[in-house]
Amino acid sequence: MATQSIGDISRVPRAHYHIENPALEHKAERFLRAFAAVLQYTDYRPLLDAYSASSARCGRCVASCQVYQASGDPTHIPCYRSHLLLDVYKRHFTATGWLGARLAGSAPLTDAMVDEMAEAFYTCMACRRCTIECPLGIDHGLVTRLGRYILSMAGIAPKALQVSVREQLEGDTGNTSKLPRPALVDTLEFLADEMEESLGVKLQFPLDETDREFAFFCAVSDYIMEPDTLMGNAAVLYAAGDWDRWTIGTQNYDAINYGLFYSDWHLERIVTRLVEEAARLRARTLLVGECGHASRTARQFVPIFGGTNAPPVRSFIEYTLECLEKGKIRLDPEIVTARVTYHDPCNMARSGWIVEQPRHILRSFVRDFVEMTPHGTANYCCGGGGGLVSMDETHAWRMSVAGLTKAEQIRATGADIVVAPCANCKKQLKELVEWHKIPCQVVGLHDLVLQAIDIPGGNTARERQALKSAALPA
Amino acid sequence: MNHWLDLARGPLFAFSLLIMLLGLVRHVVLQVHGLVTRKGPRLARAPWATIATASLSWAVPLRHMGRRTTLFTLASFSFHLGGVLIPLFLGAHIVLWEGLLGISLPSLDGRVAEVLTVLTIVFVPVVAGYRSFVRRARDISRASDFVILLLVWLPFATGFMAAHPALDPLPWTTMMLLHVLSAEALLISIPFTKLAHIVLFPFNRLSEVHWQLRPGAGEQVATALYGEEARV
Repeated sequence: MATQSIGDISRVPRAHYHIENPALEHKAERFLRAFAAVLQYTDYRPLLDAYSASSARCGRCVASCQVYQASGDPTHIPCYRSHLLLDVYKRHFTATGWLGARLAGSAPLTDAMVDEMAEAFYTCMACRRCTIECPLGIDHGLVTRLGRYILSMAGIAPKALQVSVREQLEGDTGNTSKLPRPALVDTLEFLADEMEESLGVKLQFPLDETDREFAFFCAVSDYIMEPDTLMGNAAVLYAAGDWDRWTIGTQNYDAINYGLFYSDWHLERIVTRLVEEAARLRARTLLVGECGHASRTARQFVPIFGGTNAPPVRSFIEYTLECLEKGKIRLDPEIVTARVTYHDPCNMARSGWIVEQPRHILRSFVRDFVEMTPHGTANYCCGGGGGLVSMDETHAWRMSVAGLTKAEQIRATGADIVVAPCANCKKQLKELVEWHKIPCQVVGLHDLVLQAIDIPGGNTARERQALKSAALPA
Repeated sequence: MNHWLDLARGPLFAFSLLIMLLGLVRHVVLQVHGLVTRKGPRLARAPWATIATASLSWAVPLRHMGRRTTLFTLASFSFHLGGVLIPLFLGAHIVLWEGLLGISLPSLDGRVAEVLTVLTIVFVPVVAGYRSFVRRARDISRASDFVILLLVWLPFATGFMAAHPALDPLPWTTMMLLHVLSAEALLISIPFTKLAHIVLFPFNRLSEVHWQLRPGAGEQVATALYGEEARV
């Protein structure tokens, strides 16, 4: 991918974001105190020992970093960024640093250095693409995340993420979108009406049913912003004959976990709440909707934080593929005729386990499917990963720097539709194609499935298409 | 001069080797101890097959030769090959290991050793050039990176000249003394510089293990900093 750098570094937009305590004092002292506590109670010390003692600063990582490729700003080099934290560790928490301070007078941490870290760790989407190209295997995404964690424990965190997590963990609604339970019920009734009208079947969304196979969790924002994705999910469950095997819990219906982006503390509490809700419903499996980071956090951390009887976690994409392969659902290959490409959410592909599954589904019914170059585990991030897409104030930076490579990738495919099974990626990509004037629609995977699925006892995909074209004004 | 050479090859060499070994053993012990005591049973959960595949892909890094990284990959691969094989398996070094440790290692073919040495002598400066003239590398390079390259290069250059009297501008004993002393400087620096990756590289590759976070740790950190009533 030949990305053109912006060239003049002074013209690169800054990635400013709002923090809750901008006037915080004694930042260096607070940072070191937080760092010491993190080192005492967590497991990061061996990792920091290894990285800080042996990182070679070879610079190979730049070849894979889309932020650096677009900006040309040396502070965006993954290794440069990681060393901001590794050097603090070495200087303040190792014997070598202790010796260096006394023999060579190496400088201690200052407030200005904390400010530099606060900016640097949010000019990285923690997409982990550079990890593939680091000969020493240094996981810059993990270092970025650890830097953000320590910053947040020192009182420095993006306001947008903090406010959402506070509502989710300590607020009345218990979810990041502040969607109260009655509004959820209304939304689901509305979706049921919509589905009755288009699919021709009458159904009621199962709420708080117990002893079902699946407890369904999606990004709560999907209930407000992505009705087609949700109806696609519901259509698969209905068509596969599994309508009485799933449920939505009303005590917790949000799989979003911003803890993955900046805090071990929040990460664990949010995962624990998911497991508790599944246990309350006595569901056997956690079924996670289309959301990259939510899928990854559930899959990776439910087994760790969920105790000995933690339920298995499945992605809805895996479930749909299984239904397709077993012949439980039928997707009509005559419906979607536009050119379609697929964007791999980093947290699903490179840091997850979902690479081929959505492609099998798409290839089964999409006639003109094209891949981006590169794709799969070597994909480029949408440019809004690591929580950045939720911070509206980073918009200019996400469009012109972080998302530049992705925009070029999409344009090069000539696709009419980009499929992205992730709420964050979809928001970023929708803004991106608009900003870069790419004539392309961004949808979820199940939005397309909804168009092509035949409903037993209801309308086939072709009947719905005929109805739709008849309803259009001549 | 011979007296100095004997001192350098004898007690000084043993001392340097000991410093290096103790330093590297410390690194390994800290890593293994840290992983076993802190990670415990979560070690078993890590995706070891993925870790192994990713690590092995760097043994012969053909898959990692991108358009912008071909020369650098070739250069660093070559000097790593020389850097590992020559100190251990060069014919002249085998005698040294036998005398000091009583172990006899297999010896490298003379011509192969010659090629590896020349490659290292040529490619270490190439890497220095990459650090000096390619902006992205220059931006993250520090003085220590160049000093370390020099530390690696000197024993190879002096050793090569000592083995080829026609190329050697100095008396053999002087050159050999320089060779031994520069090698000892390198050995001593290994545990205290990024050269520690000689033993730390397998541990560096364990990020997937480190993603197996410790249950309860987040709460403990928050409580330690903000008390029982810690809020988001």
